[in-house]
Amino acid sequence: MSEHRLRIDPAGAPRATVLIVPPLFEEANRTRRTLVLAMRALAADGFAAMLPDLPGQNESLAPLVDVDLVRWQDALAEIAAGIEGQVMVASVRGGALIDHKAKAAAWWRLAPVGGASLLRTLMRARVSADREAGVASSLEALQGEAKTAPLLLAGNRLSPFMIAQLGASEAQAVEPLRSVGLGADGVAGTPLWLRAEPGEDAAMAEAIAADISAWSMTCGIS
Amino acid sequence: MTEATPKASGIDATLRALLADVLGLGEARAAALTEDSGLFGELPEFDSMAVATVLTEMEDRLAILIDDDEIDGEIFETYGNLLAFSLRKVID
Repeated sequence: MSEHRLRIDPAGAPRATVLIVPPLFEEANRTRRTLVLAMRALAADGFAAMLPDLPGQNESLAPLVDVDLVRWQDALAEIAAGIEGQVMVASVRGGALIDHKAKAAAWWRLAPVGGASLLRTLMRARVSADREAGVASSLEALQGEAKTAPLLLAGNRLSPFMIAQLGASEAQAVEPLRSVGLGADGVAGTPLWLRAEPGEDAAMAEAIAADISAWSMTCGIS
Repeated sequence: MTEATPKASGIDATLRALLADVLGLGEARAAALTEDSGLFGELPEFDSMAVATVLTEMEDRLAILIDDDEIDGEIFETYGNLLAFSLRKVID
């Protein structure tokens, strides 16, 4: 099943295509607006920029409970293989956990995060919501339950495979890679992916695009 | 004794920055939080997902581990309670 891909093209032939790998789950919604602004800035700088839907996310018809990190890694590899010309992968947060199977001329990662930390937050949201509803709940009980049955975590129905993979997942080595955080040495901005209410940050989007563009030059991607 | 004050003010600053990041408070609102400022149930942005995010970020930024059993509703009632809990965890 082919997933929706948001693609923004430059005026002429693209220097390269930047494949944006979004953060996972709710963090994707919180950052989407700013990432698309960054894609526009990249297009103005001569790049094509593509933001694909991961199976089970956004407009995808695939049920989330049927997918896991391996399927996302494979989907991205297939998308990258279908892109004409040079590909640069730019991933954000949990996107860094699924970006290494794609073939690319260079990788760029913003604030990569381990899967265990993402899973812990999702599990805690469930415990917190359960307790608010007066249902006894604990991280341990949920972890036990997740071994054999899907769990509904903050609106995401995740399979035992997905939960096991997330719990053990770390960003994999890729080459050449620029990994940046927020702040003076990286991208100036705030961690929009943490925001309870989605925000947007045009200056941060410009900073993201500029950093990706500079890294592409360093890597000899014209 | 003399070390407690700078350490406490560092934790206070970290916590305010963290709440600003998660709740989108902006610097001015985060700086204006007092011991009695209500959090969960008072700030509309502070839902169960925000509670979970705050806990994971507290672990990362304060280099502590928070056990599920330590969390009760009271911790998130006021900024003062959350700060007191953080100070206790860091000193432990």
